[in-house]
Amino acid sequence: MISFRNVSKVYNGNVKALDRVSLQIDKGEFVFIVGASGAGKSTLIKMMYREETPSSGQVFVLGKDLAKMRKREVPYLRRRIGVVFQDFKLLKDKNAWENVAFALEVTGTPRREVNRRVTQVLNMVGLLDRRNAFPNELSGGEQQRIAIARALVRNPDILLADEPSGNLDPETAMEIFAILERVNLYGTTVVVATHAHDIVDNLRKRVVELRDGAIVRDERRGAYHY
Amino acid sequence: MRLLGYIFSQTFRSIWRNKLSSFLSSLTTGFALFLLGISFLVSINLGFMYEMAETQMEIQAYMDKEATQTQLASAVSQIREIPGVAEVKFVSKEDALEELKEMFKDKASVLDSLEEDNPLPPSVRIKTAGAEHIPAVVEALQAFDIVDDVMYQEEVSRRLVQIGKAVQYLSLGGMLVVGLVSVMVIANSIRLTIDARRQEIGIMKLVGATDGFVMTPFLFEGVLLGFLGSAIGTGFAVWVYNWVAMKIAEFIPFMPIVGLDPDALWQMFGIMALTGVMVGLAGSAFSVRRHLRV
Ligand SMILES: Nc1ncnc2c1ncn2[C@@H]1O[C@H](COP(=O)(O)OP(=O)(O)O)[C@@H](O)[C@H]1O
Ligand SMILES: [Mg+2]
Repeated sequence: MISFRNVSKVYNGNVKALDRVSLQIDKGEFVFIVGASGAGKSTLIKMMYREETPSSGQVFVLGKDLAKMRKREVPYLRRRIGVVFQDFKLLKDKNAWENVAFALEVTGTPRREVNRRVTQVLNMVGLLDRRNAFPNELSGGEQQRIAIARALVRNPDILLADEPSGNLDPETAMEIFAILERVNLYGTTVVVATHAHDIVDNLRKRVVELRDGAIVRDERRGAYHY
Repeated sequence: MRLLGYIFSQTFRSIWRNKLSSFLSSLTTGFALFLLGISFLVSINLGFMYEMAETQMEIQAYMDKEATQTQLASAVSQIREIPGVAEVKFVSKEDALEELKEMFKDKASVLDSLEEDNPLPPSVRIKTAGAEHIPAVVEALQAFDIVDDVMYQEEVSRRLVQIGKAVQYLSLGGMLVVGLVSVMVIANSIRLTIDARRQEIGIMKLVGATDGFVMTPFLFEGVLLGFLGSAIGTGFAVWVYNWVAMKIAEFIPFMPIVGLDPDALWQMFGIMALTGVMVGLAGSAFSVRRHLRV
């Protein structure tokens, strides 16, 4: 599903963000990426949806060699990958429903299909009744759930989350991870970069730890620390 | 269909959001196209003048004002004998004054004072069998003592054509310069739109919108600004043209000016709109390449 082979990433010719990373993530896995700030977690995630390309090595996602992928193929890759960020990235002038529907509309999905999918996914994150609310009328946790709904509305094969609970209190963070776990149960591969060690320790999922861009630990049922 | 609706609503929203910049873009484009329009109108008139010069090659021989009736009559019969002459018409001083009055119509009263002391010379109007006879006939006419001055349409036309060409080159040159400026002004207007929608563009790309889909509203906006400019430019050019034509008709009545019939107007608007659309497309494509990184 996702495979890194000896991947290095150098920014601006001197900052080494990833250092010979090799990593295999199979279909249906739930993987935590942990590590200190600047360890390379975001860079690793960005390579998975081809926001960045490797300086050397190979990245395979959904059977495609991303380094060789042509630019006009990228949108079709992204339609099969949902991405969630720390800052939600919702559009302020659209309400909850419109923010989610937007992801389908910009790929020319028929209205009937949009209505069906958006209803379904808002229901899944428990915010169907808040569909007319604008982002500034929603709590941080609710905004993140809308962002997750948007990432899931196309029923992606992979869900990527870069510090999804970074701006949330522990209790709200727990809700978010509960949703991610549920998504994973339905068969979506989930990769989460996070600092939330309580949650990592509790969920007992696979943990990949980065330090200075290199993988220093990869445990089946790991914790945040050794 | 939904895609079209999306593009239209995005475009009108952002034109409205950047009212001033959009207006300036259209106005600059309008000015460039105004110059193109003027050049077009001048070229219509040039064509018309060439045609006139071809079909009405009339030579006018102005006679000595002091000449007697008999002298004039004998000159006219001699002129008829010149090889290549097809038609000869004598215009007396009185006839000439009548014609002048006819031209000025309602303002004829200003000519009343001319009645007592008519300064107009009698003349002879000659048509030749073909354009090739003109130089020889003109030369023969100039040999007459009684003939003061010889003018022929070709000469007049040639001067007018020269002036017309100069106007045309000037306006085309101006059009190129202002056209380039319009491309840049439109590019800037599109950049404002891109800046205002940067976050939205980022999300569109994140969720898998194609580059074409992301770009289209911006390109369409540029096209629309260019098209609006062409409407402004056509309107302005037609207005100025009609005004100038009116003034010319007032002061130089014999100068042929082409009236604008609907066909000519549509043809002109077609050319202007096409140019406007291309200018708009160039401007927005420039901005999209530069600021959208697609
Ligand atoms: N676009 C960029 N340009 C230059 N350096 C960058 C860029 N993105 C990240 N880096 C650097 O790469 C390293 C890894 O960053 P990042 O992947 O964001 O780490 P993390 O998400 O684990 O905090 C850091 O040293 C960071 O400063
Ligand atoms: Mg990061």
